[in-house]
Amino acid sequence: MVALAGCLLLPFVEFRPNRIVSGTFETVFVAGVASWALVALIALALVVALAPGRVRGSLLLVAGAGMGLALLWALGVAAVHLQEGAPAIVRVSVGPGAWLVGLGALIVWFAGTRATASVLVRRIAGVAVLLGVAAIAMWGGLGELSLAREYAVQSRRFWTLVRQHLVLAGTGVGFGVLIGIPLGVAASRNRVVRDAGLGIASVIQTIPSMAMLGLLIAPLAALGLTAIGTTPAVIALTLYALLPIMRNTFVGLAGVDAAVIDAGRGMGMGRLQLLLRVEAPLALPLVIEGVRAAAVLVIGIAAVTAFIGAGGLGILVFQGWGQQADDLTLLGAIPMVVLAVLADVSMRGLRRLVVSPGIEEGTLT
Amino acid sequence: MITLRDVTKRYGEVTAVDGVSFEVPSGEVCVLIGPSGCGKTTTLRMINRLIEPTSGSIEIDGQDVMSVRPEELRRHIGYVIQSVGLFPHLTVAENVATVPKLLGWERRRYEPKVRELLGIVGLPPAEYADKYPRQLSGGQAQRVGVARALVADPPLLLMDEPFGAVDPLTRERLQAEFVRIQRELKKTVIFVTHDVDEAIKLADRIALMRSGNLEQYDTPETLLDHPASKFVHDFMGSDRALKRLGRARVANVMRTVESTTGGARSVVAEACGGSRFVYLTDERGVLEGWVDCKVLDAGTPPEEAGTTVDWHEAAVHPETTLKDALSRMLGFGFRNVAVVDADGRLVGEVSLAAIEGTMADADTHIANLEEGEVLGAIPEESPAERDELT
Repeated sequence: MVALAGCLLLPFVEFRPNRIVSGTFETVFVAGVASWALVALIALALVVALAPGRVRGSLLLVAGAGMGLALLWALGVAAVHLQEGAPAIVRVSVGPGAWLVGLGALIVWFAGTRATASVLVRRIAGVAVLLGVAAIAMWGGLGELSLAREYAVQSRRFWTLVRQHLVLAGTGVGFGVLIGIPLGVAASRNRVVRDAGLGIASVIQTIPSMAMLGLLIAPLAALGLTAIGTTPAVIALTLYALLPIMRNTFVGLAGVDAAVIDAGRGMGMGRLQLLLRVEAPLALPLVIEGVRAAAVLVIGIAAVTAFIGAGGLGILVFQGWGQQADDLTLLGAIPMVVLAVLADVSMRGLRRLVVSPGIEEGTLT
Repeated sequence: MITLRDVTKRYGEVTAVDGVSFEVPSGEVCVLIGPSGCGKTTTLRMINRLIEPTSGSIEIDGQDVMSVRPEELRRHIGYVIQSVGLFPHLTVAENVATVPKLLGWERRRYEPKVRELLGIVGLPPAEYADKYPRQLSGGQAQRVGVARALVADPPLLLMDEPFGAVDPLTRERLQAEFVRIQRELKKTVIFVTHDVDEAIKLADRIALMRSGNLEQYDTPETLLDHPASKFVHDFMGSDRALKRLGRARVANVMRTVESTTGGARSVVAEACGGSRFVYLTDERGVLEGWVDCKVLDAGTPPEEAGTTVDWHEAAVHPETTLKDALSRMLGFGFRNVAVVDADGRLVGEVSLAAIEGTMADADTHIANLEEGEVLGAIPEESPAERDELT
């Protein structure tokens, strides 16, 4: 308890939240009332973390959510305030202090979700945060931040790149599923396939993504293909998606109780019936877990494929680096994080939807 | 009828089953028994072709199992295994419906059957149909396993140590239910176990195997009373007298008794006649207690001389084994015990003397065997093997 409090303490006591404007730092207090609310909520989070009690979890949730919302509010107010009367070229960026506060808010929030037993409370808190974020985004002046300015300039290209990124990652995972699941099934049936397949997939996994794109040049050239563009990118992403999917399929199938297989065979199931009616549903949680891991991994690696002209959000990141325009980099990076989180959440949702309650932990009493 | 002719299974150099032949008449329970590695499970699994025999033939009602596609064959043979093997992702009802679905039955045909079978194995469908296997106890899971094997009404049932993984109390209950269900459904059953008591309790015939060979195939009584070899004799155990009592039912040795309704002295005294006890029943004939006539002769009024009992505890049923009846007598310290039907109505009594009478029959043969007279007739036993057995 004390250790947890200490962890939560450090970021807030060590650093004062700051704002940056065209090279000069402004403190959080340019945001007026909003900044005071923010500081008060940080203090509340500290007190709650230090004083364990029955409602501690719920209070942590409130504090975490409040910190996050107040942070956004304060950023908006600061942006509006600092740009009052200034020329349009002026930019207000998010400073390191604000990032730390954001990180702190997340930590407090997740500590809160862990400490809160009630699903209802968590749901309500989640909905409240979403509504709050939406409200602040609409009226809070966030549009005056430099990140949003970048977006306003790039918005057309931004969505094209998001779509490209999704297509790249989606195709990679899609081929990964199409190839990885049959390979996993084959690995569970045949020792040679198992050793060779899993071995090769593991080696592929250890190749750094940049090196992979380079290594693909030779084999692709042999096939008469260039190593530039979407095709090699999809090939590389498929190769990366392969291991988690194939391995989890294999592990899931290998983990099916031998007695269950014997019973199925003894009742007159053919090999295919056994696979589809018994083994597949039992291995499904692990297979979905593999696809989830592959999706998150591939969304990250798809950024690198911008180097070989496959497009995607990586373009914004690299352009931002090249121009030393941090906000342009963020405009590429943040959506990638969001995509990864969305992939993660949707695969977990899928799992809840399709896996039998008979084999899912915690769904039956 | 199941016919095995010279069935052999070899794994490379090792012969798991060596030329086994026997026949199981329809509706009978054949228990395959023997020490670990004797080939009993291999024999069982060759019948539904989970293991293919190296040579020999297996026929079910005259049809060679090798002439049928294995999957098709297995769908018409019930299969129950020790580890149950319920499908964890399916509900109890879906598990039981597995074979009907494989056979392509429509839902309205198999659903009533599933519910009926769950009822038969003692799991009320209203309560259990929608549960998942991990919500069941070991005994309940095996009941589902049995229901699943029986639901498509196969004429033949293969059971591989089905009650081996549950606690002794549950096992006894499952065995009793097996006897009850089997009396009702009259399946041909091949049942593998290593538990002699279980074999004696359930079998119509016992096939005792040893290192791939069939040592003796006969009724439990014959195996107990006329063992073909010292191995059979030793395997069946030294408490053969008690084991034989495990075969006989109270119904075979009980006698009818005097009983009277109500407790007026004159009535009871008249009922006493020459016998020692008079049982008291209510108007429906349900056992309420008994009167010791000796006490009555001494002048005690019948109201005080009577012993009131709960028939659930103090009486046995016609289908109770003599072993259990004897145990009841020893427990209570009585030489007689009342016999009641399922509703508690008095149908007779069984005495210690009657039980003793059944034990006297076959002793001579055993005595001879133990003295070694018959042993000389079994030359194939090497000294090394004998050491291993003792």
